[in-house]
Amino acid sequence: MKVLLVDDEEKFALMLAKRLALRGIQAEVFFSGEKALDAVQQGNRFDVAILDVKMPGIGGIELKRSLQELDERMKFVFLTGHGSSIDYAAGPHETENYLPKPLQIDVLIETLNGLAEGPPGASDRDG
Amino acid sequence: MDKAKDWFGYDSLAFFGKVNASISHELKNVMAIIAETAGLLGDLSEMARGGTPIDPDMLASSTDSIIEEIQRGFITIRQMNRFAHSVDTPVLSVDLMEILDLVRNLSGYLSFAGKASLVKGTAVAPMALTCPFILQAVIYQAVVQTFRNSGPAAELDISVQSNNESTWRIRIDGFSLKGDAEFPDDRVRRMASSIGVSIHCDRRSHHLEIDVPVSLETGQGNGAAG
Repeated sequence: MKVLLVDDEEKFALMLAKRLALRGIQAEVFFSGEKALDAVQQGNRFDVAILDVKMPGIGGIELKRSLQELDERMKFVFLTGHGSSIDYAAGPHETENYLPKPLQIDVLIETLNGLAEGPPGASDRDG
Repeated sequence: MDKAKDWFGYDSLAFFGKVNASISHELKNVMAIIAETAGLLGDLSEMARGGTPIDPDMLASSTDSIIEEIQRGFITIRQMNRFAHSVDTPVLSVDLMEILDLVRNLSGYLSFAGKASLVKGTAVAPMALTCPFILQAVIYQAVVQTFRNSGPAAELDISVQSNNESTWRIRIDGFSLKGDAEFPDDRVRRMASSIGVSIHCDRRSHHLEIDVPVSLETGQGNGAAG
């Protein structure tokens, strides 16, 4: 499974990538939505994108929409520092795979595995 | 005192809530990093238990990271505490540089924050008898406007100068507004007006001036804001 991990909290992203690596999941880390989008525009492909919702510049929700246009098979997991999805102007469709920080790594792994086993675009009912 | 209570109306409450939300977001990020790092240490412990050799440098960098984040958390809590206490006394004599320092730190917790620097402009501490909480709200909104427009690339220089005998002038260089947005808006204008503060925005030269009466007693309610 190829994972794209985007979070402006650099330490958090790097630490999470290390923990995923210890579990056999390789994640490519980007600290901004713009750079992640650039990578996908240049042809890099990922099975799942783990996106922080709130980032300077392109936030997670906007990034998801742009990534989907480039690769409709990509699936998404959202991370956020807030306790409730209603903090965002995101519809329930886009917060289906929504994990609050601090993360529980087992829940994230379970979510990633579930997405990997599911049909393409299964995380996005509004796809 | 009754009049002072009136100042802390819905506009003030909205500002208080907004700032507290951004602080809680910052603290949650701190906790998230600590949690992930502690989780990694747990992972490494499990591996060591299973006989896999562990790189001591990885352990050291993880504990360093936890210590750094705890420091960051303490700094954030200190700012939160300063902010919370700014409503203790509605009107008091304050050093405007301290107000600016707090606003700068608080605005830094926004996800779209740019850079704000304080420039020392007076030899003596610029003291004013004012409502520090409302003044903070007004300056904060000005800083936020620029960050909202320019994002992390924003660079502000904030200074205080003596305007005349009865007024301090807070000057924000690098100020910018999105599209046809206006500053101050009605809410900020109301707040500024309630403490006799006037705001002059020069979009073309990217600076904003906020004139603060040296004493609220003389400047209050002059309706000059905007």
